[in-house]
Amino acid sequence: MTRNILARNNVKVGGNGTQPMLFAHGFGCDQNMWRFVTPAFADDYRIVLFDYVGSGKSDLQAYSAERYGNLDGYAQDVLDVCAELDLKDVIFVGHSVSSVVGMLAAIREPERFDRLILVGPSPRYINDPPAYVGGFDRSDIVELLEVMEKNYIGWANFLAPVVMKNPERPELTRELEESFCSTDPKIARRFAEATFFSDNRDDLSKVPVPSLIMQCSEDALAPLEVGEYLYRHLPQSTLRVMRATGHCPQMSHPEETIRVIKEYLAAERFA
Amino acid sequence: MDDLLNTAPCGFLSFTDDGRIVLVNATLLDLLGYERDELQGRHLDSLLTVASRIFYQTHLFPLLKLHDRVDEVYFSLRSKDGAEIPVLVNAVRRERGGIVANECVLMHTRQRNLYEDEILLAKRAAEEATRAKDEFLAVVSHELRTPLTAILGWARMLQIGKLDERLTRRALNAIERNAESQNQLIGDLLDFSRIISGKIRLDVGSVELVSVVEASIDVVSPAADAKGIRLQTVLDPKAGPVSGDPERLQQVMWNLLSNAVKFTPKGGRVQVRLARVDSSVEITVSDTGEGISAEFLPYVFERFRQADSATTRRQAGLGLGMAITKHLVELHGGTIRADSPGEGQGSTFILRLPVMIVHNTEPFADVASEPQIPGVDYPQAMELARLDGIHVLVVDDERDARELLTAILTQSGALVTAAAGVTDALDKLRLVTPDLLVSDIEMANEDGYTLIRKVRVLEEERARKIPAIALTAHARSSDRLRALSEGYQMHMSKPIEPTELVLAIANLTDRERA
Repeated sequence: MTRNILARNNVKVGGNGTQPMLFAHGFGCDQNMWRFVTPAFADDYRIVLFDYVGSGKSDLQAYSAERYGNLDGYAQDVLDVCAELDLKDVIFVGHSVSSVVGMLAAIREPERFDRLILVGPSPRYINDPPAYVGGFDRSDIVELLEVMEKNYIGWANFLAPVVMKNPERPELTRELEESFCSTDPKIARRFAEATFFSDNRDDLSKVPVPSLIMQCSEDALAPLEVGEYLYRHLPQSTLRVMRATGHCPQMSHPEETIRVIKEYLAAERFA
Repeated sequence: MDDLLNTAPCGFLSFTDDGRIVLVNATLLDLLGYERDELQGRHLDSLLTVASRIFYQTHLFPLLKLHDRVDEVYFSLRSKDGAEIPVLVNAVRRERGGIVANECVLMHTRQRNLYEDEILLAKRAAEEATRAKDEFLAVVSHELRTPLTAILGWARMLQIGKLDERLTRRALNAIERNAESQNQLIGDLLDFSRIISGKIRLDVGSVELVSVVEASIDVVSPAADAKGIRLQTVLDPKAGPVSGDPERLQQVMWNLLSNAVKFTPKGGRVQVRLARVDSSVEITVSDTGEGISAEFLPYVFERFRQADSATTRRQAGLGLGMAITKHLVELHGGTIRADSPGEGQGSTFILRLPVMIVHNTEPFADVASEPQIPGVDYPQAMELARLDGIHVLVVDDERDARELLTAILTQSGALVTAAAGVTDALDKLRLVTPDLLVSDIEMANEDGYTLIRKVRVLEEERARKIPAIALTAHARSSDRLRALSEGYQMHMSKPIEPTELVLAIANLTDRERA
């Protein structure tokens, strides 16, 4: 069982500290997306990285369309990893959909979590007029599924970016092939549906631990209204609107991302 | 160099990790309908459709950032006037003068996009068809096995030999009934394959639909009685004849009626109306049964479809009946449609066939008055004609079949010599002089065609001129034609109806004697 979970979720543990920081990737990618920020925390924390089943180098055999048909299945992956490594006092860092996954995990097993750091979170992507702005209409998401379907036909091209600089080292290409992101079109589609059709607004008030909302300015996936909505409904939350634009500040603006997280952790420590 | 970039036959765009547009070439500006200064410095998001924006953020940007390169990504751009423009993107991420830029070439794919849409649709249709076929195969195996279970079970009981007379009768009835129902299934399958390969043949004549309807009602009334379903008819005898194949029209009627009875719960009602409507005869079969949901209604006549999926189906059957029915009706130049106010509210099938224009008042033979429904008409038919004194040579390489034929003929008083193949049959013909030859066609080594060719050139005249009946598992008219042209007098398809076989032998030998 032990080895199974660690292999199943491609769990990687590093860092020199004791308090665990558990990094959870979002839809469309895998743990590689954290590589620009994790080194900054390695001296002070125990760094835990993993891939959700169905993403990255996880064990695709363990995938079940039923379990991963909604975000609870993904939250179970987080709790499985925590249980396997016996993690306590966890600082959970979740990107995008993983923000909600982290909240669900914390609601289920509050004793494991110290706090949540939510990068580009949204409790619901689809507008619910008149009171709620999520940023999208249902038809936008249906169109996204079509764009994905078209791209997944040629997905091999994504998976194996040609390593032009090293034609004499084909093993590099192979490594890249293995390392990349969503692999199976059906799994990716189901993850997209679980993500973009979810509505977790009612769960916000149940989140039992403090959280940091890292809201980007000009985020195509989570407009400012969403960050404000979260701030109003998440107990013990802090809202930081970043200068970073886009949806992946940990990749596009790693310095600012690191700084904001460190400031939050330091402030909480002295609070 | 700038010229080259601007006039290249593809769009060029570079942007920072922030998504700020640094450079666009003239081709892309043309494509999108923007001026240069409207775009430079602007955010990439404003050029993308919403879906592409999400895809960029969740897939393309992470890939570029982590791997410095992506190839052949499908995207939709938004032009200044709001039109959606499909493009294929190749991008690299590189540093130029200390600034990181993501550089893309974009190919407009309007035509290709239509083509890809078609391929995607075809792919989905193919996947759906495969799924339907898999389900159908599962259903076929299940449906074929169900009667077999009863047949095998009772046959084993009989073999043990401890059944009393009452149980023996019951066993035989069960075996017969189940074999009949399996025969019906196989008949449906064969019909269906003939329909899709366009090989079905109509024996067209003038048909009075009233008698077709009445004959079908006779067939389904035992099942209706058993469920306490009232069968009501309002038939206009002056509706006029239609031109068609009586057996096939019978099959259509029988399908509609048995379906209505099948899907109507106990104590319900099935109503049949037949009337002249304009230049058609319209038959309406309505029931108070399960009804059809609005979602399923368009698929009622599609093959392999039943409203329930394979695992939850409450009704047996292949889901072919309605598809066959529709094809047969259309072959007759008619139309059929289904109607239902919804689930639980009954359904109505409306069949229309063009009226035949008859100038001659002398009516055509009323072909349908003695309906022949395959597989339904012989429970009471064990009274066989007599073949006393007639000597039959039976040829079949399968022992069971040979023994069955021998039993049927012996029971009718015939003297039977059996042969297990062509050589055996020719040997026997040298020793005995039978009145008639009955031979299977599909046999190992040499077939029934070879046999009859060899018989027809025998020296001994009586043997050479022996009347012969061919038996085949195929009921195709091409098989019948071949059997007759090779030298058989008659062709009969398996499974053999004992009464028919005995009658046929009686007729053929009578003719010889006359």
